[in-house]
Amino acid sequence: MKNPFEIHNIQHLSPSTCNTFIGSPATFVMEKILKMRGRVGCAAFRGTATEAGVVHGLLTEASDDECIKVANEEFYKLSALSQDPSKAKEQASVPDMVRVALAELRGYGRPTSTQGKIEYRFDGLLVPFIGYYDVAWENHKIIVDLKTTHAIPSKIKTNHARQVALYTAAKGKDYDPRIAYVSAKRSAVYRLEDVDQHVAVLGKIGLAIQKFISMSDDPLELASFVVPDVDSFYFNDPLTRQAAFEIWGV
Amino acid sequence: MGLGINYETNSADFLPIIKYDARAGRLSRVDRVNGESIATDVTKTFRAVFDLENLETGWIDFESGAPQYVLTILGSGPKPEQPGETYREGVRCIVKLGKDIGGDVREISSTAKAFLRGFDKLHDDYKAGAAENPGKLPVVELSDTAPHTTGEGARKSTNYVPVFRIVSWVSRPADLVYKARSSSAKSAEAKLPPSTGSTKVSAPSGSEELGW
Repeated sequence: MKNPFEIHNIQHLSPSTCNTFIGSPATFVMEKILKMRGRVGCAAFRGTATEAGVVHGLLTEASDDECIKVANEEFYKLSALSQDPSKAKEQASVPDMVRVALAELRGYGRPTSTQGKIEYRFDGLLVPFIGYYDVAWENHKIIVDLKTTHAIPSKIKTNHARQVALYTAAKGKDYDPRIAYVSAKRSAVYRLEDVDQHVAVLGKIGLAIQKFISMSDDPLELASFVVPDVDSFYFNDPLTRQAAFEIWGV
Repeated sequence: MGLGINYETNSADFLPIIKYDARAGRLSRVDRVNGESIATDVTKTFRAVFDLENLETGWIDFESGAPQYVLTILGSGPKPEQPGETYREGVRCIVKLGKDIGGDVREISSTAKAFLRGFDKLHDDYKAGAAENPGKLPVVELSDTAPHTTGEGARKSTNYVPVFRIVSWVSRPADLVYKARSSSAKSAEAKLPPSTGSTKVSAPSGSEELGW
């Protein structure tokens, strides 16, 4: 059997890739098959920057102000060339998000690992899943993934559940998986439930991707099997929107 | 079958039921008529062949909508683990009703302690008589119901323990065939999408030992 992942030069899958495949198959084709990387919006930079500041504070006991400085520098570094209209709004929310997150997480003590790489294999899937968890306290068997948002959800979002379930499966079932939602005003840490089922779903999605890319060795033929919803946020960026037009004519 | 579609349903998964109300000490057959459940009281006339050879025990969830079963045939292996807080210990048994009350094959299941007390006694009687009646199943009547009071004061409540009596032994009826149904933990879970979690948690105690 030919390995379709090798043919399309995909070395591994991730929860993020699965989310893209579900949310916008056309974006999956653009990024993973046609190798046209879409540009990341400033909402994503906000999350990365906040995490950088929070992790700095948890690891070093730095003051909130110092952590905010780290976060702001990270945001600037990531977004310096961005023309995203939401840039100012996202930049403004970073300091308060860092403060709120630190208030929530300092009580956990110093993490024993951050940005830990995990690898997980499913039967029948020809590539592994690889991911990176945010923060772990191995002594307490706790994993926390930090999610910044402008509106705290009342429960864990399914995509986040799958992501953290994978980390838990790789780290060990005795871990207590948690997701910390942080806005500029408040936070909520929820415990993940039904880990095994979420992991199983991720495996199914991985196999669906494998079947999809097995349908053709030709990237353009795979592209012809899908059509983008250009009103979705996946195509907010003007260059990504233009690329969709050039590929699909829509 | 030109389309290759299987029109058959697994009828074993949808057996009609016999229901025991432990609070009232009444036994009813329940039928679906025009989408409604119609209960017919058969307390005084109940007689049925019980397939105690394939008695299922384990955990049943009657609280979360459609009943969820995690059961194994008694004696076929270890007791399943309790799948969740809403599951309670229970039994399920298929029976063939006497002709006077319908004559069809149904199931009876319960987690009510009063019912289980009476059913436990019936099972003891079955085991005691099975050796002398190889290959046969008991014909069972509900001879009485006995009040059983628990608690005190405001918590006092009375339930009724069914008094089952084996009146004879018969060869297994042709239509009383045990088929595995939705009884494994896996199939019970697969009926519902996974929950993600909405329980808020705080920092672990003793975290200062890890800190600075």
